[in-house]
Amino acid sequence: MKFWKYLGLRLLTWALTILIGVTFIFFVPRMFPSDPVEGMIGQMQARSGQMDPVAKEALRTSLRIQFGLEGSLWSQYTSFLWKGLLHFDFGPSLMSYPTPASEIITRNLPYTVGLSLTTTILAWIIGNVIGLLAGFRKNKRSSKILETIAICIYPIPYFIVALILQIVFSYVLGWFPLRATILYNGGWVAFMTSLLKASVLPAVSILLLGTGWWIISMKSLASTTAEEDFVLYARYRGLSEAKIGKSYVFRNSILTQITALAMSLGGVFNGSIMTEIIFGYPGVGTLIQDAITQSDYNMILGCITISIVAIATCTLIADLIYPFIDPRIRYS
Amino acid sequence: MKKFWKNANGRLKFGLIMTAFFLILGFVVFYIPHTNPFPNNIRSKNLAPSLEHFFGTTSQGQDIFWLLIEAIHNSLMIGFIVALLGTVVGVFVGLVAGFVGGTLDRVLMVITDTFVVIPSLPVLILMTSLMKGSNSTVILMALVLAMFAWAWPSRQIRSMALTLKERDFIHTAKFSGEGTVQIVVTEILPFALTWSLSNFMNATLSAIGSESSLAVLGLSPANLVSLGNMIQWARNYNAIMAGRWNWILPPILATVLLFVGLFMLITGYNDYMSMKRGR
Amino acid sequence: MRKILSLVLALALVLSLGSFAFAEEMTEVGTPRAETLIVETQTPTDVPGQFNSYMLGTQMGFGIHQLMSAHLWEIDTVKGEQFGEVAEGMPESNEDFTEHVVKIRQGIKWSDGEDLNADDVVFTFNMIMNNPGIGQSAYANTVFASVEKVDDYTVKFVTKESFPRLALRFGVTIWGNDYRIVPEHIYSQVEDVTQFKDENPVVAGPYTVKDYDPNGQWILYQLREDWQQSTLGVVTGKTEAPAAKYVLFKVLGDDTTRQMAMINNEVDVMCEVTPEILDVMTSSNDKIACWYDEFPYATSDDPCSKGLGFSIGKGAPYDSADFRWAIALAMNFDEISLGIFDGVGRASVFPIVTATSAGQELYYKPLLEWVSNFELDLGDGTTVKPFDPEYASRMAAELGIEGTDEELIEMFGVGCWKYDPEAAEKLLVKAGLEKKDDGWYFNGEPFVVNLTYLADTEAQAGRGVLAAYDQLTKFGLTCNISSESSATWDTNNGTGEYEIRGIWPTGFIVKDLYSQINGWDADLIAPMGEIGSGQGTRWNNARATEIIHEMAKVSPDSEESYELGLEFLKVAIEDMPFIGFHSGVKFVPTNSTYWTNYPCAANPYNGPWWWWSCFKYIVAEITPAA
Repeated sequence: MKFWKYLGLRLLTWALTILIGVTFIFFVPRMFPSDPVEGMIGQMQARSGQMDPVAKEALRTSLRIQFGLEGSLWSQYTSFLWKGLLHFDFGPSLMSYPTPASEIITRNLPYTVGLSLTTTILAWIIGNVIGLLAGFRKNKRSSKILETIAICIYPIPYFIVALILQIVFSYVLGWFPLRATILYNGGWVAFMTSLLKASVLPAVSILLLGTGWWIISMKSLASTTAEEDFVLYARYRGLSEAKIGKSYVFRNSILTQITALAMSLGGVFNGSIMTEIIFGYPGVGTLIQDAITQSDYNMILGCITISIVAIATCTLIADLIYPFIDPRIRYS
Repeated sequence: MKKFWKNANGRLKFGLIMTAFFLILGFVVFYIPHTNPFPNNIRSKNLAPSLEHFFGTTSQGQDIFWLLIEAIHNSLMIGFIVALLGTVVGVFVGLVAGFVGGTLDRVLMVITDTFVVIPSLPVLILMTSLMKGSNSTVILMALVLAMFAWAWPSRQIRSMALTLKERDFIHTAKFSGEGTVQIVVTEILPFALTWSLSNFMNATLSAIGSESSLAVLGLSPANLVSLGNMIQWARNYNAIMAGRWNWILPPILATVLLFVGLFMLITGYNDYMSMKRGR
Repeated sequence: MRKILSLVLALALVLSLGSFAFAEEMTEVGTPRAETLIVETQTPTDVPGQFNSYMLGTQMGFGIHQLMSAHLWEIDTVKGEQFGEVAEGMPESNEDFTEHVVKIRQGIKWSDGEDLNADDVVFTFNMIMNNPGIGQSAYANTVFASVEKVDDYTVKFVTKESFPRLALRFGVTIWGNDYRIVPEHIYSQVEDVTQFKDENPVVAGPYTVKDYDPNGQWILYQLREDWQQSTLGVVTGKTEAPAAKYVLFKVLGDDTTRQMAMINNEVDVMCEVTPEILDVMTSSNDKIACWYDEFPYATSDDPCSKGLGFSIGKGAPYDSADFRWAIALAMNFDEISLGIFDGVGRASVFPIVTATSAGQELYYKPLLEWVSNFELDLGDGTTVKPFDPEYASRMAAELGIEGTDEELIEMFGVGCWKYDPEAAEKLLVKAGLEKKDDGWYFNGEPFVVNLTYLADTEAQAGRGVLAAYDQLTKFGLTCNISSESSATWDTNNGTGEYEIRGIWPTGFIVKDLYSQINGWDADLIAPMGEIGSGQGTRWNNARATEIIHEMAKVSPDSEESYELGLEFLKVAIEDMPFIGFHSGVKFVPTNSTYWTNYPCAANPYNGPWWWWSCFKYIVAEITPAA
């Protein structure tokens, strides 16, 4: 019974956080003095030099009506809540008018998810294996070296790593394209090869830093667990180190890491922005940046709403599964 | 002090030395009188390192050494302000939520969770790109970053408070008639402080990191001399491709060293504390 | 650091084994490299696969208007004269400029083999006027009473009022023109032309779309087999086909990536770079060149001069000509030039009209005597002559450039405003400011100027503001500087929510100034905070407005129009609503590894305007490298 009450409360919090977060995102861009219509006219004008004043005024009126920016803030908000949150319909993208924002997001989503999901999980596996070894055999030379490398790489700001990779492998060595060029119309083989080529450097950059984090956290978990009483007891019982490592240290440490993985999967959108922008990789990250510079309200809202829902849901799942896999924790 | 140094692990020592080095650069060397390095001085551009200009000058004739010192100062300031705000607000909200409980706890936690859930980078990009017109400075930049710095700590502190609440010594204190505020101040805060210190350093690190990420996207204020902006300016004026290493390397190396140093300090400090507690 | 690098190296070695290279001579989009001209485009398109120019958001500069669009009139950018593209010659107007007869060229065919004739032109204009959803619609309706077919190759435009500038308004002058002729047999079948993407466009230009990136990063064009029946073929009468069978327009990314791509010969023509980038590129790859082989490298003939604009609507002291002149005299222009592009660039210091080569000949030189004698009243009984004709020789000496006076003036312009901080201080006092020990005060408050510039793009304008910030700070004014992203920037431009900013409300392409200056009509000024159709600067000058109104009624070819233009410029100089720095300075690099005969200073058959619609005439001249 206690579980159901917990679940109910937790679901309520889940819904509330999403609602508040989305409201925040709805109002912030509208409070600032930037206007997608002016942005668009400004771009046209920047391209063509002078624009006839009368023509400009006429264009402005027709754009405002088409973009649905007439009408009160409140009615825009309520219609957003109804359509956007419940049906994932955020209205037309303003920069790609009249294509619906959700359609463009759906088109970009697979790239972000594909790249980030693969790399996050890969980093998690590699990092945990290395971290476990390093933590369990705390005093071995090799584990110290591995850990030091991880500690030296992990805190380096992402863009520096990305920049170095790009200069070395795309410019100096020329192994990878400087900017992702993906062939969509040349059949599956061409598509996959071009996609793979474009993904290598972004993937490596995420892996380098991601792995570092998992090594460090796994190592500290494992070394703490390795000194818990039940492990010491196992040692007294004369169990082999391999057996202790596998069934005591690993099992206990990995629980925490699984929930941490769930949390970090929710955050893939956040993490992918820099990657996509620096490597010119298609995806939601580049989309968010474009939308912001062009004040495409609907698109901003769409991207961030999806991200909020993803993080909130992953946190929810992590919270719910935690007591299942770790019997020491109870729902409270 | 001697004893501390003897007991400290290698990482803690390295981290301490590194951090102290940057603190001296940013808060002692910074105050040695020097000309403002920000304005251009096109007649002395692209100078090689010399005694007059330790690291030479940029293509805009700015002295790279003093630009770097100023950048370290401002970046650390941003980091510290954000960390201070984040930690203080976080600890306060967390303690209140944890100890008062009930409806207040629920409300505070929903708000906190919202800020945990909102993806920070897109929102920061949004805020800074919209704020660009205003004359954002160190303080304003710090305030924006601080928006996302308090939520996680307050969640942590709250759960810490929840477990502490059940500990024996709190009960003892309660029975001996101490008020909640008093208990919080005398019994809980010391506990929270150890944790806060580590959180503070962590927050400093991530604030400097966020600012430089924004700078690299071209979104940090144009007149803010920070480590991120220095890298961005060097990129803008093509220092990397032109091989002007005396310009691009100092801010990159400083960032890397500062980050590795701070990070070692954090992990070293955490290990040290757990060792002290008898593990 | 070494550890990281070696780790990175090891990782990449492993990974690179898995990747394999394409055949050497193919482009990444699968066309032979030797037959493909690769052109940079600066921003990705948000609407990939959309080629209908009358649908919102179509990014014409992505090769669409360069290679496919058909305009009534095009521009010869070297002479600054228009010529007929779809039209046969210039329009013939009646006495009072209300009826205009336009002959249509014979022989142009759409890419599906249909003839392009008067029906298409008439249909296009009526489609625009009958569809309020088309951005150009309202304006076309205010101008035209009717557009009718006379015979298969003759169209009559009837305007509601006297309209002497038909070709200037509805043909290309700068960059392109938004009235592009569409095929009647396609567009008349479409239910709603504002929602018709036109994914497989039927065009009159020499190239058609072969392929494009659904993510908007590139578009591949292919030469029409019947290109001789395209606008290009008919207008030029050439018999030899353009050598570039394919043209790939492509986004290259940020500055680092762009120059790496150019150095690695992955692109042939690039839009615009900074001198630092050009320097790196030319020294790493000797096939890369710019407009000039040597200093100043860049062309100074881009029609938009950059400089400082004031928000006059903000009121005092910005609405005072004395204040604006004080700012002009407080800055050392030599140092500004050095700060922006290392001294490269033709000074273009008159407000509003740009000193392109032609602009300098037609408007700057004739005014030279007048401006040399022009005096400012400093308010304390003294005067100063603010014009400084020595700029060119001084810069040449500073940079070690040799040349005849004429060459130097072509390179550096006829002169600039004097650096005279003393006069500037007097003018500030005259404008009501007060100098105290700790800086300038206005109305008893410390006076702070906020300078803004557009982030990321427009390096010339942005650096100009940075340089001005330095100069004004050194002069003693307290300044702030900040950048804005585009949507905020454009909004603030309109509302007047700024003080001083780096803008380019300027231009010069054809002799007649009307289209350049009619936006400065004071009647169009909206109240502060609102966005009107006029200038955001809100320069309210009665005489200037009068001149604009008078000019509207006279023929663009008349002597009267030219005289009015000169007078307008004098009024503007006296009142100084905008401080010009340099004409548009463009470093436009080309790579001759695969292709040669790009236009350049030694062979200026056209301007280096890859992003203008006249690019198709350039492509026809480009030949394969041996």
